[in-house]
Amino acid sequence: MKDLVVRLAALDANASAAVQVIAYFDGLVEAGAGLPSIVRGAAVLAGCPARLDDDGRRVHIRMLPDGVPAPAPGAADPSWPQAGAGTAELRLERTGGPGPVDAMVLERAASAARAVLDRTRGRGPAAADDALMELLVDADAPVDARSRAGRQLGLVTAYATVLASGEIRVHPTGPAPPAGRTPSGAGTPPAGRAGIGPDVPVLELPVSYAAARTALRFTAAGTDDDPGERVVRHDELGALAVLAEVPEPGAVPDVRRLEQAAAAAPWLLRTVHAVAGTNSLRAAATALRLHHSSLQDRVAHAEHLLGWSLHEPHGRLRVQLALTLRRLHRNPRPDQRAS
Amino acid sequence: MSTPPPFDPELAAALAVIGEQLPPALTPEMVAELRLGGSMAPVSDDDLRRDGRFTVEERSVPGLDGDPDVSLLICRPVHATGTLGCVYHTHGGGMILGDSRAGVAEMLDWAERFGLVVVSVEYRLAPETPHPGPVNDCWAGLVWTAEHADELGFDPGRLIVAGASAGGGLAAALALMARDRNGPALLGQMLIYPMIDDRNDTPSAVQMAGRGVWDRTSNATGWGALLGAAVGGPDVSPYAAPARATDLSNLPPAFIDVASAETFRDEDVAYASRIWQAGGVAELHVWPGGFHGFDGMVPSAAISQEARAARVRWLSRLFAA
Repeated sequence: MKDLVVRLAALDANASAAVQVIAYFDGLVEAGAGLPSIVRGAAVLAGCPARLDDDGRRVHIRMLPDGVPAPAPGAADPSWPQAGAGTAELRLERTGGPGPVDAMVLERAASAARAVLDRTRGRGPAAADDALMELLVDADAPVDARSRAGRQLGLVTAYATVLASGEIRVHPTGPAPPAGRTPSGAGTPPAGRAGIGPDVPVLELPVSYAAARTALRFTAAGTDDDPGERVVRHDELGALAVLAEVPEPGAVPDVRRLEQAAAAAPWLLRTVHAVAGTNSLRAAATALRLHHSSLQDRVAHAEHLLGWSLHEPHGRLRVQLALTLRRLHRNPRPDQRAS
Repeated sequence: MSTPPPFDPELAAALAVIGEQLPPALTPEMVAELRLGGSMAPVSDDDLRRDGRFTVEERSVPGLDGDPDVSLLICRPVHATGTLGCVYHTHGGGMILGDSRAGVAEMLDWAERFGLVVVSVEYRLAPETPHPGPVNDCWAGLVWTAEHADELGFDPGRLIVAGASAGGGLAAALALMARDRNGPALLGQMLIYPMIDDRNDTPSAVQMAGRGVWDRTSNATGWGALLGAAVGGPDVSPYAAPARATDLSNLPPAFIDVASAETFRDEDVAYASRIWQAGGVAELHVWPGGFHGFDGMVPSAAISQEARAARVRWLSRLFAA
């Protein structure tokens, strides 16, 4: 029945037009249509070119009234009818007053676009940012490509962060980047475990990234089973960073002893972590929320299980090194993860 | 029956609007009203002339074996240079609706692009004229057109048949008749979601009942009007329902397209498969999430633009050979 042609373009200003505009955009949202479909719908129903611009997300979509995509030939005219859709602006390219259904089309299309932008937040344009960030930290990528990516993100100096999920973030430092150019996620502190690399010029980000990955191995979950810092800066590791080169940290005898002691006493790891990491038993008791005498009993028990003293600086260093090597064992380098 | 395929998002949104004006299921009682109704977009001579780029003429030519004369709408490109071809068009409308101007706009698009004379036949409609009246009208017009290639100004070696829906079924039937009757020679057959199987019992026909456009009930209305009591029975001619043909060899190259969410999906896919099995040439496109006639009703949708572009690309290869 191709010939029962009911062209949407034939909509006019009668009473049912508004109902049809609403039904059309509701249908698009319900079916999970993307932004191009919504902008196309606006162009077709209004009978003039329509465009959606979101400079921050670098989204630019323009459709002609026959539904054909056409890149924007120039800047938007401020006199065109327009409606905000979150961070984006939807415009009908019409001069000389709005058409009969323009207001309804703008309102419904903007609302539909906002719904899509909400649904895809952090996916569409942010995915482009992710790609740029991955490029910036890729030592094998050509220098000019990394340089261009840095400019696109408005970066001069920056540092890299790696999350436990493997997600890479690049944080600008120095002069603030132009408004709207901040890479997504840059300002938010990481919620889980994260390794942080040193602040470097943008072309040295691969170095910062490698350091961040190393730092991530020194992080802990911060639980009884895995006490320690969730966020570690490579700059602050100092000589400890050398331990990352140990081939089989889990095989070091002190680490095995620590594991055996922890298996015998569930409180042990957190307790020795506190004792080795504070200046006095009293400070450790406060951190553990234990009575001083209770902690003394535990320390005696731990010394027995470990076989070395926790009262001497040397013994506390052995515990710190054993805890650190244990974390490195639990957070293996990617190339060792399979073993 | 299993869950039907979802409609394409843009088409689904448009269907929400179209559905108010065009119910999926058309019954025989609705035919008279539909013929009167304003849902058929009227096409004027001015529309056809396209600012003087075409001359428009209606010619009466003899019907087959004493049948009434048949009217042909003939649109000739004014500025075309080189050797012209011809597209002989059979309009859609379920065998019960429409006229020779319906669907001609796309033919004119092709004509401008490839230098074609467009001939569109005003065949008589069912149920007033049951089979074989309609297809015989189409045949009489095709034979006359081929015989008058010189007068119309096209190369008889560049003649194709084309149609959508019921018109696609008629075009397929013309290709079968031309093969069986030794002419006219056809360069190709453009079958746009053709209506070719009166049995109306494929999985897609069952699956899409009550949904989209031209569902199983509508299809029964169309076939019932054309074939009467013979519908679905053992004695239906392949010239009425080309899916009934047992031999699909030695046909001109076919372009077949259809949508995944329409009644005709499975019969059209099967027709292409059977052409290949018979050693023939066919190009098949199945557009996901389309309903019947999607590209005509929602020409702006992304998938409609692609469907129409695919036809043009096929024609481009066909006429370049």
